[in-house]
Amino acid sequence: MSENVVKIENLSYSYPDGNVALKNVNLNVKSGETLGIVGPNGAGKSTLLLHLNGILRGKGYIRVLNIALNDKNLKAIRSKVGMVFQDPDNQLFMPTVFEDIAFGPMNMGLSKDEVKAAVKKALEKVDMLDSMERISHHLSFGEKKRIAIATVLSMNPEILVLDEPTSNLDPKHRRNLINLLKELKITKIIATHDLEMVLDICQQVVLIDHGTIIAQGKGIEILADKNLMESHSLEVPLSILYRQSSTWLEGDY
Amino acid sequence: MDYIDKYADIQSIIHRRDARIKVISLFACVISVIITKPDSYTTFVFYGILILALVLLSKIPIKYILKRSLVIIPFILAIAVFIPFLKEGETLWSYPMGPLKLKITYQGVTLFWNILIKAYLSALCMILLTSSTRFFELLKAFEGLKMPKIMVMIFSFMHRYLFILRDELMIMKRAKDSRSINGNSWFHTKALSNMLGVLFIRSYERGEAVYLAMCSRGFDGSIRTMGNPELTKKDLYFLLIIITLLILGRFV
Repeated sequence: MSENVVKIENLSYSYPDGNVALKNVNLNVKSGETLGIVGPNGAGKSTLLLHLNGILRGKGYIRVLNIALNDKNLKAIRSKVGMVFQDPDNQLFMPTVFEDIAFGPMNMGLSKDEVKAAVKKALEKVDMLDSMERISHHLSFGEKKRIAIATVLSMNPEILVLDEPTSNLDPKHRRNLINLLKELKITKIIATHDLEMVLDICQQVVLIDHGTIIAQGKGIEILADKNLMESHSLEVPLSILYRQSSTWLEGDY
Repeated sequence: MDYIDKYADIQSIIHRRDARIKVISLFACVISVIITKPDSYTTFVFYGILILALVLLSKIPIKYILKRSLVIIPFILAIAVFIPFLKEGETLWSYPMGPLKLKITYQGVTLFWNILIKAYLSALCMILLTSSTRFFELLKAFEGLKMPKIMVMIFSFMHRYLFILRDELMIMKRAKDSRSINGNSWFHTKALSNMLGVLFIRSYERGEAVYLAMCSRGFDGSIRTMGNPELTKKDLYFLLIIITLLILGRFV
């Protein structure tokens, strides 16, 4: 369990307009763990995620599942790293749910029967098997988010990378999605502002600001550090505050 | 915005046919109608009855089909209305207008009726095709009939994102309306042009984002699809019957 599935060394990246997005990032992710990436808007969270499957290519060294990330290995890495984008309408670009989930497996060169089996299995995992023939445009927002996850699960990834998985979801669908993520027993890397979710499912947390890693450690330790959180435009989740404050329980606040 | 495949989910003998068979059959109908001689009135009646029968078999509300088919009438009229006056031939009716003489010729009227009936019957066929087939199945059928995959993909994206863009425009319009209580029509026109510019940039950015999502799932420039299902015997019988009737129609 202690094997590093993602190893990033001295990664730096600047956007074409010269804006520095990442500076000397070093990060290791262990197999099976759930890593939360938190930080203010524009800190570089999404940029970092886009490096994990080689969409962006900064200076530095990245190894995913013991494969060095380079042009030759790009395809192998992309089938192992499932990337779920924030806006499900960007993720679901095919007309039907089936075709969307089949897109990845088909690009992996599976046979038709294998593709069908992979789609079925992915839909079972997100508990939406009866939506196979539906049209993506007709899905509700919560359903779109689930199907977006299914579109990468069908490729049988070993690492799941999610950008803001709970944004814009109502509490019930947010909870459903968090439970779904808990059930998926693979390595997960999640960039989010949803600190309660981080507390709920992430064992490890990385705090990023201005493109550098500020802090890294156990979820509860970083999230409970008031000075650290507030100096980087974040806050200590209310659930931790309430747990610490006995006066709150007596209604005296 | 109305879906053009609003009635594509009902169950009928037409809806159950493979989309490729429908495309071929209805294009065969269109071609038969077009190559019919202008004075073969019985053939037109025969084809008219055939197409009407197909429409009735499809169980799509006839009112809907007729309403949609009326949309093309103004276009045909705009193109063909001068033909009876301009076509040279046997004079049917004339009216002196000063130095000019307005006249309608027999050949002109025949040609006019011919354009009208051919266009209308063809439009009925195409309306039946598009309203009895789900849009993506229609695209699959075109792919099966060897339309370039890149074209199919472009149409597919267009259909997928058209509604999303419409929603984005609506949200922008609401935001504009909430802030512009006064303002003359020139102000609103200017605001609209800005909105269209923003919409263009957003579409462009969405295109980039979709491309990233495609790359993340192993897209490497070649389009792979599941292909069409096998044709059934019933599909082939349907095609055979239609073709036989179309040929038969030329001899009545």
